[in-house]
Amino acid sequence: MTALLETRGIWQRFGGLVANSDVSISVGRGEIVGLIGPNGAGKSTLFNLIAGVYTPTQGSIIFDGEDVTRMSAAERCERGIGRTFQVVKSFETMTVIDNVIVGALIRTTVMREARRKAHEVLEFCGLGARANVLASQLIPSEKRRLEVARALATEPKLLLLDEVLTGLTPIEAQTGVELVRKVRTTGITVLMVEHVMEIVMPLVDRAIVLDLGKVLVEGKPTDVVRDPKVISAYLGDRHAVSA
Amino acid sequence: MTAETIIQSLASGLLMGLLYGLIAAGLALIFGLMDVVNFAHGEFLMIAMYATFFLFAFFAIDPLLSAPLVAAALFVFGAVVYLLIVRFAVRAKANAGMVQIFSTFGLAIVMRGLAQYFFTPDYRSITHSWLGGKTISVAGIFLPVPQLFGALTAIAAFVALYFFINRTDFGRALEATREDAGAVALVGIDKNRVFALGWGLGAALVGLAGAIMAIFFYIYPDVGASFALIAYVTVALGGFGSVFGAFAGGLLVGLVEATTALILPPSLKSVGIYAVYLLVVFIRPRGLFGSL
Amino acid sequence: MDTAFAQRRRRDLVIAAVFAAISALVPLFVKDVYVQNIMVLTLMYAALSQSWNILSGYCGQISLGHALYFGLGAYTTALLFTKFGVLPWFGMLGGGLISAAVAMALGYPCFRLRGHYFVIATIVIAETGLLLFQNWDWAGAALGIDIPVRGDSWLKFQFTRSKLPYFYFALVLACIAWFVTWWLEDSKWGYWWRAVKDNPDAAESLGVVVFNSKMGAAAVSAFLTAIGGSFYAQFVSYIDPESVMGFQFSLLMALPAVLGGIGTLWGPVLGAVILIPLTELTRSFIGGSGRGVDLIVYGTLIVLISLARPEGLVGLFSLRRKEAAR
Repeated sequence: MTALLETRGIWQRFGGLVANSDVSISVGRGEIVGLIGPNGAGKSTLFNLIAGVYTPTQGSIIFDGEDVTRMSAAERCERGIGRTFQVVKSFETMTVIDNVIVGALIRTTVMREARRKAHEVLEFCGLGARANVLASQLIPSEKRRLEVARALATEPKLLLLDEVLTGLTPIEAQTGVELVRKVRTTGITVLMVEHVMEIVMPLVDRAIVLDLGKVLVEGKPTDVVRDPKVISAYLGDRHAVSA
Repeated sequence: MTAETIIQSLASGLLMGLLYGLIAAGLALIFGLMDVVNFAHGEFLMIAMYATFFLFAFFAIDPLLSAPLVAAALFVFGAVVYLLIVRFAVRAKANAGMVQIFSTFGLAIVMRGLAQYFFTPDYRSITHSWLGGKTISVAGIFLPVPQLFGALTAIAAFVALYFFINRTDFGRALEATREDAGAVALVGIDKNRVFALGWGLGAALVGLAGAIMAIFFYIYPDVGASFALIAYVTVALGGFGSVFGAFAGGLLVGLVEATTALILPPSLKSVGIYAVYLLVVFIRPRGLFGSL
Repeated sequence: MDTAFAQRRRRDLVIAAVFAAISALVPLFVKDVYVQNIMVLTLMYAALSQSWNILSGYCGQISLGHALYFGLGAYTTALLFTKFGVLPWFGMLGGGLISAAVAMALGYPCFRLRGHYFVIATIVIAETGLLLFQNWDWAGAALGIDIPVRGDSWLKFQFTRSKLPYFYFALVLACIAWFVTWWLEDSKWGYWWRAVKDNPDAAESLGVVVFNSKMGAAAVSAFLTAIGGSFYAQFVSYIDPESVMGFQFSLLMALPAVLGGIGTLWGPVLGAVILIPLTELTRSFIGGSGRGVDLIVYGTLIVLISLARPEGLVGLFSLRRKEAAR
């Protein structure tokens, strides 16, 4: 079975800085893949390249059999790539439901449809009761869920999550983990960038570790955390998981 | 059209350009400090010109002498405008962009209305000032003395600004507040004081320009409007936030204006500047030297 | 939740219909020509400001150069009529289409510009338009165009004996502008405009092609503004560059929306109803020496509203539930 997402030989240079070198990864349909690595590893850059924020200096990105390397973020969303932002970018002047309706409108132009879909998605994400609240009045964990809900409304095939679980209380993080699992049960593939290893490792099927812009190791979470290369990459980082 | 006429025009254009740079520098300073475009900048120029006129008409003080006074008065005015209006404008959370634009725009309209009401729409001019109407010959080119004086003042102001911003404590406080208004509070710098003084300084610069321009321009309530647009174009050309970009922009604008006047009928003089503005920002959306 | 929303939409429509009906009856009781004139202008500015609001309020691209479209509408109608005998009704349509096209052509380079650069570009472009028309001899240059009025005619859209037909036309125009806004507010376009205004990056990630969205808003806004300009040409039957493309028009189109509530459905109407009569009355009551008083009055209003109540006066009337504040 062909992978849903493939990056082939991605190089990303910003002036003299090489953020990603020769990165080739793939994400299979229905997987939950974790993209991890110490600070400065190039995770965010790769994430943004896949999302369409930048065009890679070199290399290509194949999504669902189509070369999307030169496509804009909006075009990629239309093809089925949804994303959240690490620093939440909700539409602060709009209500929660309106935020989600914006997402739903890429799949339907009938307002009643879009509204119904938005309600569904909000319920799915546990924000049903907050539908008519202004987005600016949500608490941080709710805003994170709104990010996810909004992206889900676009009916993505691949959902890119950018540090969605970072900085949450343990209870909030657990709720978040459950939401991600729920998302996968609907058939959506998930690629998530994360820092909080303890929470992410039990969640993902596969982990890809980046370091210094390159792919260091990939494989099952339990194998990856024991890999000596990974441990030494994280040495000094307080998130290192003990073997 | 001889080579002489062309050089003459360009030289005049350069002189005017330096004055435009002086006007624009105040605008750029304020913007660089707090990300607010002062849409009443033209009206600041207007009242400086009127102040100079009245000091001349009622007290027979030549603009050369009253210029520093007018600059000082505008300094106070600028600080007051910040404290009474702009300080509140920047707190807006909803429609922030609109608030910043229209709060100073509203002020501009009020100032124009007040000028029309108190001074009438009549055109005024300063006759028989020390420098008015005189020209001097420099290397065979005839330069109008008031504009020459204005250009020299602009250069002096530049140099002073440079030292002020880079060598004095307050100048450094200004730069620091520009970088991070939140952090400076932690080191005991009162953000409001810095902003008020920044506005004062920006206004003083345009006040200085106004005092000199009053020597050779007609003074009327709407005079600010046309120069304001030139100022915005100049600042945008140089890149918002760069005070020295404003001066470079001024020189460019002065030259373009002079060149346009050579080719097109006088009523279309400004088209050249507008065209250059549009061309520059379409190619470099942040202006020539801008970083914001 | 859906029914509450649908109810609100219907209620807005009913209120608009009631206001329109009441307004339609007013001229039957108010015969004073001077007052009728103010009413016509109020309706015209309500329509213009509502159109401006589509691009600058909903989509957040603040334009201070809309006088360009107003002038293009006026000139298209006037030129087509005086030079080619084309009836103003067609001229109006032509003016609208030309303005929409110009808006999109200008949008192409302009929408790349950020905030202040964009606003200044709009001012600069309108000024350039003004200068060009002032020097275009075929279009009358600075002397402008005189539209010959030879008696009343609906076909030629000119009336000498009464202002009523102009009043009703302006009322219809204001209703159309309001209705277009009402309709677009609950549509894909409306939602995407608000998303673009609020956070363009987030909007893009949700599939919104930000550029196309802005273009659409610009086209609709320019089209309606131009129709207002065409109307004005027929109303005053004489136009020149300064009187239809001057910066004061750009301001006067924006201010009612700012006062009433930028980006809201009722803001521009509310703002126009307050601002225009106030402006006209201050100008005439204070007599000749009152030059500039209208400026002082509305300038002060604008400063106060921007500082104290940026969401506009519309917020005072809780016509919308607080949670759905825009």
